[in-house]
Amino acid sequence: MAGITKLLNKPLKAFLIYALLILTASVPIYYYVVDYIWQQELDEHNLIIKREINNNLLRFKAEDIEHNLGVLNMMQPSIKLEIVSNKDFQRDSVFNLINENEGQKERFRVLKSVLFVNDKFYKLTVQTNVEEADETLMALTLVSSLFFTFLLVGFILLNKRITAKVWLPFYQTLAQLKDFELADQKSIILKNTDVVEFNELNSELEKLIDKNINSFKQQKFFLENASHELQTPLAIIKSKIDIQLQSSNLDASQLQFINQINTCLSRASRINKNFLLLSKIENQQFKTLEEVNVFDLIEENLELLNDYIEDKNLKVIKNIYDHKLLNCNLTLLETLFNNLLINAIKHSQNGDTIKISLSNRSIVIENTGLAKLNHENIFNRYLTSADHTYNSGLGLAITKEICKQYHWTIEYSFQNKFHVFTIAF
Amino acid sequence: MKLLIVEDEIELAQDIVNYFSSESYNCTLALNYQEAQEKISLYQYDCIILDLMLPNGKDGLSLLEYLNENKQGLIIISAKNSLEDKIKGLTLGADDYLAKPFHMAELAARVFSIIRRKQFGHENIINFNEVKVDLLAKNVAVNNIEVVLTKKEYSLLLLFLGNKNRVISKNALAEHLSGDISDMFDNQDFVYAHIKNLKKKLTDANYNNYLKTIYGTGYKWQE
Repeated sequence: MAGITKLLNKPLKAFLIYALLILTASVPIYYYVVDYIWQQELDEHNLIIKREINNNLLRFKAEDIEHNLGVLNMMQPSIKLEIVSNKDFQRDSVFNLINENEGQKERFRVLKSVLFVNDKFYKLTVQTNVEEADETLMALTLVSSLFFTFLLVGFILLNKRITAKVWLPFYQTLAQLKDFELADQKSIILKNTDVVEFNELNSELEKLIDKNINSFKQQKFFLENASHELQTPLAIIKSKIDIQLQSSNLDASQLQFINQINTCLSRASRINKNFLLLSKIENQQFKTLEEVNVFDLIEENLELLNDYIEDKNLKVIKNIYDHKLLNCNLTLLETLFNNLLINAIKHSQNGDTIKISLSNRSIVIENTGLAKLNHENIFNRYLTSADHTYNSGLGLAITKEICKQYHWTIEYSFQNKFHVFTIAF
Repeated sequence: MKLLIVEDEIELAQDIVNYFSSESYNCTLALNYQEAQEKISLYQYDCIILDLMLPNGKDGLSLLEYLNENKQGLIIISAKNSLEDKIKGLTLGADDYLAKPFHMAELAARVFSIIRRKQFGHENIINFNEVKVDLLAKNVAVNNIEVVLTKKEYSLLLLFLGNKNRVISKNALAEHLSGDISDMFDNQDFVYAHIKNLKKKLTDANYNNYLKTIYGTGYKWQE
């Protein structure tokens, strides 16, 4: 995932960039400091040589010195002593000199001085080799890189340790939150930690979760009550229509009118029934388990739906690979298959095909279709499809809820002009 | 026939009375637990239609202990459509269980069938002029010639005989045949096919054309 990093990698990155900047900047600074100290030391060294030569010259006669000057200069290439006239008298001068020798640049620190010994002037040049700039620079860079590597490794290791130790309560909380399921209506108790912020976070989360569970309960309670309350007015409307139908002076348009009311009424009572069923499932009111033969149940369901299947001349193809037994609630499983089959029948055109495949691990129900349905929202509760004849939109939500109860997965796909619903046990 | 209707929802209760009264039924209404208890202890009814949820949190089922053993029929009507309630009601002595909302025709057919079962236990035969239905053998004969009906055609015929001279809507017919599932479909045209077949078989056997089509709405068994 580009752009998203773990929390602790963020400061790590910043630390590393900062360390790199500082270490990089330190290289030229080190260089100038070292070079400065180096030159100071060499100047001092050159001055000492000058003083010693000055003292030594005092012990010889001028003729002897003049005679041996050539030998002296040859024996000590870094020192050059010449006899000069008094006109050449200069103050001491100190400078750098770069000598090119067989393609190699050598840097020297030079002291030029004129000595006055036994009434004679001598010009003394002392040259001392200084470490080259690029060599120093190279060495410093190497050392810095080495330190940077140490820092890098150290930071990563420390980061890992901190992640594992200090952030442990955070990750524990996170794991608990991931496992949390609102529909279970079980509040969670987060572990106490020795970090103030985490404790605050945990207690706020607990409060938030409790509030959520509460409003979820209220919402469910409301839905359940509302559906129950609606049953009675629906029953009254139904009876009123039945009574009205008995009056002898109804004309064709009035009968048509009653017919339309009946259709809407049955839609309303369908939605209400589904809401009731959904809240019952969510309240886990279908607890009794029994061993159900899936194939037999499918056959029974098809038998019940046979009128609707024949009415549309649908072809039903059954592929039974296994007579699967499931340990579950019979009513729920019946509802599950019924909803899927009803769905398939309702959305079929005359002469279409419905395929049912049952194996040890799954049941697949397919029906002929024209185009793929919006499949992200297909199991959503309150979604109404663009096609307004589409049930109450609750049928598939109920199937999903039932699958959830038993940890089965239900998936939709569109293959070879078939809507495919697969339940994996 | 004497019916007791125990139902706190007055509109619904009166509709039931209204629907049943035009036939040979004599209906009494009890709107709460006390009334029901009084009437049950004082009089004898052929069938009691009982709503389980009565005002003040009274459970209709506890009325069952005032009943005279097995003499009257009992049908429970309830807004709670759960298997547990149904089983509980039936084990406590109810003859049938009908979830709200229901069609009047369905209730009438069930009451009709319960009363017949109670009163004509051993030889339960409905005679409607030339049409004869043996409820135990599940045989139908017209002019003493047997007419072979499918299960669904037979079931429709009983619904009509339990609702003589009443218009039964297409939805009520579908619900009678498919139960809860019928609510899940908007199109109930399959009913026509069954009615058509039933009509044809009865017509072939020369019945007196009692089954009338009411324009676009439903059917009526008319004497």
